Amino acid sequence: MRFKPLKLLVLGALLSAATAALAHHSFAVFFDSEKTVTVSGVVTEFQFRNPHGLIRLTVKNEKGAEEQWKIETNSPSVLRRRGWNSDSLKVGDEVTVEGWPARDGSKYLRMRKVTRPDGTQVGMTFGFYED
Amino acid sequence: MKRLHALLFTLALLPFAACAQQSAPAQTKRPDLSGFWDLAPDVKPDEKLMSLLAPNTVVLQDTGAVELPAKDFGGLKVKPKALEAALAWKPLDDMTISKVCQPPSIVYAMQGPFPMEIYQGTELIVFKLEYYDMVRIVFMDGRGHPPPDAPHSKTGHSIGRWEGDILVVETTHLSPATITNNGLEHSDKVRVIERFRLSEDGKTLLATQEFEDPEVLENRGARFIAWRKHEGQYVYPYECDPAFAEEYHR
Repeated sequence: MRFKPLKLLVLGALLSAATAALAHHSFAVFFDSEKTVTVSGVVTEFQFRNPHGLIRLTVKNEKGAEEQWKIETNSPSVLRRRGWNSDSLKVGDEVTVEGWPARDGSKYLRMRKVTRPDGTQVGMTFGFYED
Repeated sequence: MKRLHALLFTLALLPFAACAQQSAPAQTKRPDLSGFWDLAPDVKPDEKLMSLLAPNTVVLQDTGAVELPAKDFGGLKVKPKALEAALAWKPLDDMTISKVCQPPSIVYAMQGPFPMEIYQGTELIVFKLEYYDMVRIVFMDGRGHPPPDAPHSKTGHSIGRWEGDILVVETTHLSPATITNNGLEHSDKVRVIERFRLSEDGKTLLATQEFEDPEVLENRGARFIAWRKHEGQYVYPYECDPAFAEEYHR
């Protein structure tokens, strides 16, 4: 299996707030809204459940080693209204995920945007306070 | 003869009856709040509703996109015991199997990120929230609240009345839950007053939600909340899966 190299892009830009409010847990205490990180890899699991969905991604880092990343998504009802469904991602799909990093430095992101290798976007882009 | 007298008497009263009908105040047409409503955080606070807030009320600025950071309670004056608990709160405390799917009360849920449906009748009004599948019933039949020791819940017990074009809802019997999603909780003594009204074009639902809690707060808190109407849509099931909490302990 071939992985794209890990890309870490710390943009350091305050992204615009979106149109809805908080998660059940506080976004601000778990994720850093002033940075974004982009990782590319292969989907190993996609959970479409409340209070948040989850994507597991195997990513090859710059040294060629595999890393396991977790990406928290919005809730399924929010995802559905943005063009997602439970079949949007399948095990083995190659994707690039942009998201806000966990404050504790772990390999955990809050999803902002997902694209496929051909550049098509899965659903729509999310704001950092949307649930 | 008696029938003739009765007829004459009735005819004599007719002009007065017509006059009384003309001078009676016109029946106020109730606004219909029914429909699917999605949060609209870009709407500016409604002056009419804001002017009705009680004195000593701080308006929280965390409706919609804004989120209060840890240890910031938006101007609420928190009593010492509650403040101590709020400051000791750790985010991971809530990320457990037993807690992660517990809904907030309406104090937090109404300004939350999910839409709602409203079904308006004359005897009751139903709020169906997508957030945690919560359903509120507002009794409009003139009843009061149950005794103080009656069961409490996250939706509480709501009674409503119309004041002109404003629906006023009073809710008690709420079980303890978060106020600001950062460790501050209200007690089961919290009392909530909500005022709802439609915008002039009927496409925006405007509301204030104010609350007082003699066990937790020295002052009163409030939020302004607005929703936009979307035709043909409906709320989705929430069905929270507590296994999500495990992701925060791996």
